[in-house]
Amino acid sequence: MNKRNLIIAGKELSSRFFLGTGRYPNPYVQNEAIRVSETAVLTFAIRRANLESPGEDAILQHLDADHSFTYLPNTSGAKTADEAVRIARLAKASGLSDWIKVEISSNEKTLLPDPIETLKATEILVNEGFIVLPYTSDDPILCKKLEQAGASAVMPGGSPIGTGLGILNPYNLSLIIEEAEVPIIVDAGLGSAMDVTQAMELGADGVLMNTPVAKAKDPVKMASAMKLAIEAGRLSYEAGRIPKKRYATASSGLPSSISY
Amino acid sequence: MKEHILILGGGVIGLASAFSLIRRGFEVTILEKNTCGGQASGAAAGMLAPYSEIMEDPDPFFTFCLDSLRMFRDWQQEIKKASGVDFEYTESGSIYGVYHDSDILSLETRIAWQKTFGSEAQILDGSRLKSLEPAISDEVVAAIYSNEESHVFAPDYVHALKVACEKLGVNIYENLGDIKVESWQSAPILQSPSGQTFTGDKLVICSGAWSQELETIFHIRIPVFPIRGQICAYELGDEQVNHILTSSQGYLVPKSNGTLVNGASEDIAGFSTTVTEKGISRLVNWNKRMLPFLSNKSPFHTWAGLRPATQDGFPLLGSLEGAPHIIFATGHYRNGILLSPKTGETVADLISGIPLDPGTRLAFQPERFN
Repeated sequence: MNKRNLIIAGKELSSRFFLGTGRYPNPYVQNEAIRVSETAVLTFAIRRANLESPGEDAILQHLDADHSFTYLPNTSGAKTADEAVRIARLAKASGLSDWIKVEISSNEKTLLPDPIETLKATEILVNEGFIVLPYTSDDPILCKKLEQAGASAVMPGGSPIGTGLGILNPYNLSLIIEEAEVPIIVDAGLGSAMDVTQAMELGADGVLMNTPVAKAKDPVKMASAMKLAIEAGRLSYEAGRIPKKRYATASSGLPSSISY
Repeated sequence: MKEHILILGGGVIGLASAFSLIRRGFEVTILEKNTCGGQASGAAAGMLAPYSEIMEDPDPFFTFCLDSLRMFRDWQQEIKKASGVDFEYTESGSIYGVYHDSDILSLETRIAWQKTFGSEAQILDGSRLKSLEPAISDEVVAAIYSNEESHVFAPDYVHALKVACEKLGVNIYENLGDIKVESWQSAPILQSPSGQTFTGDKLVICSGAWSQELETIFHIRIPVFPIRGQICAYELGDEQVNHILTSSQGYLVPKSNGTLVNGASEDIAGFSTTVTEKGISRLVNWNKRMLPFLSNKSPFHTWAGLRPATQDGFPLLGSLEGAPHIIFATGHYRNGILLSPKTGETVADLISGIPLDPGTRLAFQPERFN
């Protein structure tokens, strides 16, 4: 079975699972969860990282030095495009990565992305040579505009960060995927393997998660479950599901196969 | 006749449980393989800081920590009274400092939920921060100031707790070596390698980082892992620091003996408590970004302890379902000192037949990993 790998900005990734590094109960569980997830891309909040010496950062220091991850630093906490751009530059200057997840929220309760500031920051950072992956609301027009602004992948949320509410608007998400000419990564709000499989069956190119793994009762087992869900959902999407019908169709005893 | 409670493990959790139990009229015996408080307990920085520890959102662990913090003022007085031994307990307040404007949103989110628990924490900007903590770096753009957070001098606290237990009549056996649980389905029987046998009516498991060894005895999964925490300390000299200072990278705690404790570098190293160059240098490289005067100083002391971390971050606390006379109180990770009063009283409650509230019981149930 030929597995088609995800390519973002010319880089081929061995996994469609993007994993966050926050909120794990301890470094042991964090490392094990990352290992079994087989993720290729790790995301972390720039503001919390020790950019002066990332190898000494409270969280990043634990990562397996022999494994080369693609780092996707995020601008979480930024309320405006200016703030996001400022910390994105710090991350790039640290030499960790030129990939950036634009994340701009202005409401402390929902942490929903600010669409106007997100588009603004994406335009600026693309012009400065970043590989930009904006986290955005699941609006098809906005996602298209982010793509046109030069985003290397677009990351619509399923529901607000950390809620585990799953994909609240599968219709919008399917439109976004249908229209997209860059990879679509579903980011935020997923809760369980079911949500992940749904995202992948809708045709998403990958998913980004943190809380549903890190705060599970067994984060390591959940990392494994999510990995399998991504694979199952992707295969199901590629295989092509049957159309939904209102009434039953017999699955055996077809007239053509009956010999008289 | 008094019920006799055996406690396996003389760390801060075992000692606190013994202190609570003996005051309720039980006969109590602590069995310790080395010396009481010789591991994580004695190595701790002694922070009583649930708001700094739990950042994202409140869960049963947070509320348990907060209850314990609010018990501490009376608790430490009772221990001083019972032991006749003094130790530092300082209601210093804490400052959680951030370095970017983009951190302020997260501080607002934290303050918002903390307020619903009665916290009077507030966000300070640079200039107000400076007046509260003059030595703090100009790089720190804002901070959460929590006036409730406090600290104790952990080695002295644990020592006083042990003396209090002894004076109240707890039997303490140290240097027993690897103690075996010979039988537990009915009255527990434990044996030391030298052949000493201990029997009681109930057994409390407070084995900290070594708890996983008991999986085959009790036939439950005990996913408790030792996480090494490396710490260093400075002589403050003429410098003054007023509060616990924390950031995403570590903490600094000024002690009344004129030292400043800087932690912690965590790593996974099995049961080794060796201090590493990497572990200490990341503290030394980071801490001047909180207190610039530290760039002219070197730590005079370094050490490490093993924190008992669990798979989901919550302790194992409660009695076994099929064996209510077996109580687990372990896996407190880096919060054992903070959680000692609440855990001690909870163990005494459980043994007296007072159950945990249903939410906490489910969250901390020892069998939950089966």
